[in-house]
Amino acid sequence: MATVAGPARGNAIGEALRQARKAADTEYGIWSWIATVDHKRIGIMYGVTAFFFFLAGGIEALVIRLQLATPNGSIVNADQYSRIFTMHGTTMVFLVVMPLSAAFFNLLVPLMIGARDVAFPRLNAFSFWTFLAGGIFLNASFFTGNIFEGRLGAPDAGWFGYATLTSRQFSPGHGVDFWAMGLQILGIASMASGFNFIVTILNMRAPGMTLLRMPLFVWMTLVTSFLIIFAMPVITVALFELMFDRLFNANFFNPAAGGTPLLWQHMFWLFGHPEVYILILPAMGIVSEVLPTFARKPLFGYPFVVLSGVAIGFMSWGVWVHHMYTTGLGTIANSAFGISTMLIGVPTGVKIFSWLGTLWGGSISLRAPLMFAAGFIAMFTIGGLSGITHSIVPSDYQQQDTYYVVAHLHYVLFGGAMFALFAGIYYWFPKFSGKLLNDALGQVHFWLMLIGFNLTFFPMHISGLLGMPRRIYTYSGDNGWDLWNLMSTVGAFTIALSILVFMINVAITARRGDRAGSDPWDGRTLEWSIPSPPPPYNFAEIPRVHALDDFWHRKYTEDAQGRPVPIPAGAALAPEPEHAEGGHGIHMPSPSYFPLIAAIGFPLIAVGLIYDYAILAVGAAVLLVGLYGWALEPATEE
Amino acid sequence: MRFLRARRIHLSRALSALLVLGLLALLLAGCETDTPQNTFDARGEVAARQRDLFYMAMWPAIAILILVCVVLVVALLRFRRRSPDELPKQVHGNTTLELTWTIAPALLLLVLAVPTVTAIHDLGRPPRADAFHVNVTGIQWAWQFEYADLLDDRGQPLTSLGELHVPTGREISLTIRASDVIHSFWVPKLAGKLDAIPGRDNVMWLKADEDGSFSGQCAEFCGRGHAGMKLTLIAQNQEDFQAWANEQRGGGG
Ligand SMILES: [Cu+2]
Ligand SMILES: [Cu+2]
Repeated sequence: MATVAGPARGNAIGEALRQARKAADTEYGIWSWIATVDHKRIGIMYGVTAFFFFLAGGIEALVIRLQLATPNGSIVNADQYSRIFTMHGTTMVFLVVMPLSAAFFNLLVPLMIGARDVAFPRLNAFSFWTFLAGGIFLNASFFTGNIFEGRLGAPDAGWFGYATLTSRQFSPGHGVDFWAMGLQILGIASMASGFNFIVTILNMRAPGMTLLRMPLFVWMTLVTSFLIIFAMPVITVALFELMFDRLFNANFFNPAAGGTPLLWQHMFWLFGHPEVYILILPAMGIVSEVLPTFARKPLFGYPFVVLSGVAIGFMSWGVWVHHMYTTGLGTIANSAFGISTMLIGVPTGVKIFSWLGTLWGGSISLRAPLMFAAGFIAMFTIGGLSGITHSIVPSDYQQQDTYYVVAHLHYVLFGGAMFALFAGIYYWFPKFSGKLLNDALGQVHFWLMLIGFNLTFFPMHISGLLGMPRRIYTYSGDNGWDLWNLMSTVGAFTIALSILVFMINVAITARRGDRAGSDPWDGRTLEWSIPSPPPPYNFAEIPRVHALDDFWHRKYTEDAQGRPVPIPAGAALAPEPEHAEGGHGIHMPSPSYFPLIAAIGFPLIAVGLIYDYAILAVGAAVLLVGLYGWALEPATEE
Repeated sequence: MRFLRARRIHLSRALSALLVLGLLALLLAGCETDTPQNTFDARGEVAARQRDLFYMAMWPAIAILILVCVVLVVALLRFRRRSPDELPKQVHGNTTLELTWTIAPALLLLVLAVPTVTAIHDLGRPPRADAFHVNVTGIQWAWQFEYADLLDDRGQPLTSLGELHVPTGREISLTIRASDVIHSFWVPKLAGKLDAIPGRDNVMWLKADEDGSFSGQCAEFCGRGHAGMKLTLIAQNQEDFQAWANEQRGGGG
């Protein structure tokens, strides 16, 4: 590839680069995907990649559940178990839920605000490739042990990697090195996309789309992006210090040299609690789009829902100590953070009641997207309420670090985030593929997942209250935990079955699915006003926005009693014609290989830091070539 | 179509039933008192206070859960779309309602906050001066106990590994530390956990109301041996306890 030659000084190199870009500027073929800067394609790549990581993290979960199905399990040993649960948690948080949300940001934000792409399309591609590089790097750690002898090399200190267990003394091998640097790489990807979406949302809205006419999903993307750009630096500092402790014998967390292990926990959770909302706010945004469409009724109390989302964003910075009640910070700290944790339940409650208010009195179509959104409401409520019990600090001294917490966090992140993400997948799949997923299979998927989910995680409340600590690889049969664990294992395989149904559904739909048309659900927001799948330039003409749920108001007016009246079929209803003049005259950014090249530099640098500084030099050179070429290349051809 | 709809209604009912059954199971589990680490089965004043606080939060939580689920299921059934061109009244919101469901939960939480903060301070007070004092050290992967109040002939405190002997009915003061990585000291029937952190002394107190042996285990992941890092707290009446201490002195030489 000519691009390796870097900045195009000579005419020959410049011409070769231009040809390479041109070759990728098509609608088909692998290179058109690799060099793409189209937000929709990047969104799809985010989604597909995250789904593969979801399968990996899911298989890890099944191994965990098999091991714990009965007392004295012997599927894996203690060492393998600790590596597998560490990777399960790390994968699901950083490689599944975050990038699945990123997939939706990419797919939807430009369409919902009436823009042709994000503010920085190449930076967007760079985010994706850096995420992929970080994900592969993190999982490559498995192979740093001797996998054939059953010695996995993956990190083994848990997904929140408490010092001093992460020190070289207590975690020899390179697993934790891969973890610390893999998460830093993923942090770069998140930071870049955080800035990108903030700028996109603030600057690229179609004329007339004031902040309070933005779809709720866009609002939640904005809040999430701000949380990302403020939270990621915190964990980056922590990881950087950990890296220095491990690679260069620094002593940030080493008590023997005056360092403080608790420093890690403060930094990790100061990132970690906003992170919880980074994971759940996009899900809330999705549900706030799905419910109004399927109830044919606007979101109940839109300003309250927006404000409560913003309030959650702010308050999420003031509750991190609720992960640390048992570290002995004292009565004042525990009281203050107990109360702040209770208070964050208030805006969360506002959202739940507003969703119920949206459904009430609607005309509800019980299609798969709505079922998943309704499942989200119920499951997330359970997770929220068990969260409230954590704020009762002395009671939490009992539940902390038990399966009760495992239950709670899965009700929030799986029952919450994943249900909502599936609602989003069923809802927007036709927009980007042009085909509707089969609804009957969708219903089967939903019920299997709902039943499997509750069968897996509800019993964990009980095993936790019966004194089962988390992260034990085995237990004896005299604790009364056997039944609950067996239920959890059966449930986990039920969830796996439901995911299989989903995959079959996608496969069938790809072959022969019903054509969706531009507006299959009677949608309310701008993405439904353009063809499915949308053309590369999205909008042949940038729309003018007159109201919240603008597209709905193009289809319906309200009579005096507040009942919608369809606007007689005519110009107002018609979606934009397919390929309005083929999109001629619309300048879209050119494809580019440089974001990918730059992204490849990061894992090379990390490998170099661990094994050999020569590789570090190569990685730095690749990164420089990528950034330099990117800076010099024209953003748009001609 | 009608068949499908009927089936969905059926399944919604099944969902509600499932939830109720799940909650019932939780309650039954709470009554099941003979498992060794059951947090509901408190045998000391600290654990009892903590359990009562859990109930205080659990009952309103279950009530709110049932409320939300009932409203959700009723809404889904009652307002399901009956014809494809059905258009409901467009309600955008209701300020009174919205303010109510902002303020009411805030008030409820403030009500919960009072006993919570009181308990944090009651349970978090320093141990009494006359408490029986033990230094607890978490080591990969065992618990070591040093009895500051029990000295052997050479004036050294007695120690034990894995078994913590205490006098029943007396306040026990524990100074908890770790020698390598973070562990967490936990005997569920007597008290919630407190972390053992290298380079730091954490202090807690607890009390066993009755004689018996109470099992506990490390609650913070501490490496490969985490699952096996157990302990037994043995509470004895004054006579038995003295006998044990004397035996230790003899055995220790
Ligand atoms: Cu938190
Ligand atoms: Cu442990």
